[in-house]
Amino acid sequence: MEVLSSLALGFSVALQPDVLLYALIGCLVGTLVGMLPGIGPLAGISILLPLTFGLDPTKALIMLAGIYYGSQYGGSTTSILLRIPGEAASVMTCIDGNAMAKKGRAGAALCIAAIGSFVAGTFGVIMLTLIAPPLATFALRFGPPEYTALLVLGLIFLAYMSTTSLIRTLLMAVLGLLLGTIGIDVVSGHFRFSFDIPELGDGIGIVPVAVGLFGLGEILSTPSRDVKNDVKSPKLRELLPTREEMRQSAWPIARGSVLGFFVGIIPGSAHIISSFISYALERRISKHPEEFGKGAVAGVAGPESANNAASTGAFVPMLSLGIPTGPVIAVLMAALLIHGIPPGPSLVNEQPKLFWGFVASMYVGNLMLLALNLPLVGVFVSILRIPYAYLYPMIIMFCIIGVYEVNNSIVDVWIMLIFGVLGYFLKKFRFDPAPLVLGLVIAPIFELSLRQSLIMSGGSWQIFLQRPIALVLLLISAFLLALAAWGAFAARRDWRAKMAEAEAGE
Amino acid sequence: MNIRADYFAGAFFMALGIVVLILGWDLPFGRISAPGAGMLPKLLAAMMIAFGALVALSSTYGEGLREVPWGDFSHAALVIVIAAIATFLYSRLGFLLTMPLLVFSLLAIVERRNLVMAAVFAVSLTLFAYWLFAIILKAPLETGMLWS
Repeated sequence: MEVLSSLALGFSVALQPDVLLYALIGCLVGTLVGMLPGIGPLAGISILLPLTFGLDPTKALIMLAGIYYGSQYGGSTTSILLRIPGEAASVMTCIDGNAMAKKGRAGAALCIAAIGSFVAGTFGVIMLTLIAPPLATFALRFGPPEYTALLVLGLIFLAYMSTTSLIRTLLMAVLGLLLGTIGIDVVSGHFRFSFDIPELGDGIGIVPVAVGLFGLGEILSTPSRDVKNDVKSPKLRELLPTREEMRQSAWPIARGSVLGFFVGIIPGSAHIISSFISYALERRISKHPEEFGKGAVAGVAGPESANNAASTGAFVPMLSLGIPTGPVIAVLMAALLIHGIPPGPSLVNEQPKLFWGFVASMYVGNLMLLALNLPLVGVFVSILRIPYAYLYPMIIMFCIIGVYEVNNSIVDVWIMLIFGVLGYFLKKFRFDPAPLVLGLVIAPIFELSLRQSLIMSGGSWQIFLQRPIALVLLLISAFLLALAAWGAFAARRDWRAKMAEAEAGE
Repeated sequence: MNIRADYFAGAFFMALGIVVLILGWDLPFGRISAPGAGMLPKLLAAMMIAFGALVALSSTYGEGLREVPWGDFSHAALVIVIAAIATFLYSRLGFLLTMPLLVFSLLAIVERRNLVMAAVFAVSLTLFAYWLFAIILKAPLETGMLWS
């Protein structure tokens, strides 16, 4: 009952006309960001972060979160119609979604993706409503050793789930952690690696790094000659799936929703990974696995539902533990911090209007996206026809403005350019930059909690084994590492390789 | 000789780890019971050297540096040079002069588009961005030294 009354409070905030307007702007911008190649949710949110400085924190968070889950909806449009993933989580939708489009079922594929996204998004919010408050209460028992162990688990899990190798992912996470040590040491006051540049005293910001790696880096490796705009808009009457297509999509949507949510609450680039796992699962349990890659309805419904549920699930650790599960969530956390609100276990009790208003806005946002995306598909498709040669100069301009506006600092823009170049080369050498951003974000929390733990124990590492929650978290980390080592040495080919094969084997 | 791409990447990260160790040499390591400002950076630099070595060592059958698709390199180099010049000019000339130059240069030099079209697009886009940021959102845009 307490949940219901809290949710009622949330709806009283979320249904205010101005809050609804910001949710709508977030959903619309998110859909565009998801659709347009070269600009994913991370770059989109980072670029638009400065626009929220003048808003109150509730509206700012609602708008930015709308961009995040809106992008999961929008990504499917480009995947299905152009066979280009608008954002990384839509890679799997390209395979069967575009195959359906080639068979003249583009409208049905878009509709199934939208319905799947809506069902999964709503399921995710219901679970978030039920899980986040008790988890926040539980997290109040966490001290520095538990936070250290949890962050280690997050990094190990990210490394385990990543589609690149364990070593490469850990290397990126270490680089991120190292970058996170730049600036003044909060314990001793030492300047570290700041080279007498005053702006580096506060460390390297998440926004210039994220925009550089994911926005500019993507543009650098995408010449306009590689982007085709040959896209046809499906007619409105073609949008309705047949009864058979609806039947085929029902269970994949249900499975994708549950699987996506639980993958989402675990640290890592959850919305991307969940769509890969969902695709592999659907193909494995299908009675007709040979249809996958040739327009299987389950190949669209499952991954699209999973990535939406995961993007909602990712809010659980952020809101209840104050831990980012991925770079996008990290930027959203940065947005809250800019507004002077630290996300974490105390958020539910100290900021009930913000917490429940945000949760309620996600129910409304999912409805908005369903209502907007299908009827407006023609409008969105016409935006896809803008030549990429004109689009990317605009994105670069917004990257510079967005990064500069965060601190009015030209140093941040230079950092963005440097990380743009780094992002380009990381892509060439097959490194995933997501763990780098995650490492950068958690570095200050990780270092502080590690040092506090060691000071508390008088220098004994056993503190991590003597506290039950920390011990369990570390045992899970060890288990995952052992599992990854087993996958590499014994089987030689693990499930991640098979998923990569699924992607390639259309 | 076609060096393996991972030898190159591994060596780069090993070198970066060594540079971090050298730069952070003066930072106090502290004791385990009272970790200093240099403890985590030094441990992480050591881990980076180790992981860099593992990346290089595990590349026996990896692709060569020449097989990495470098077809987009000239595009990337031009874009980054133009963006760097724009960044250099941004705090000097300000938003209203730098941004049209940036967009026009990208369209004219990188994309070889019609110069008039490029100029019209660059000016229109800048005015739209100015209207959005400076007028609607009241975000302070860089005015530049020339204007102030």
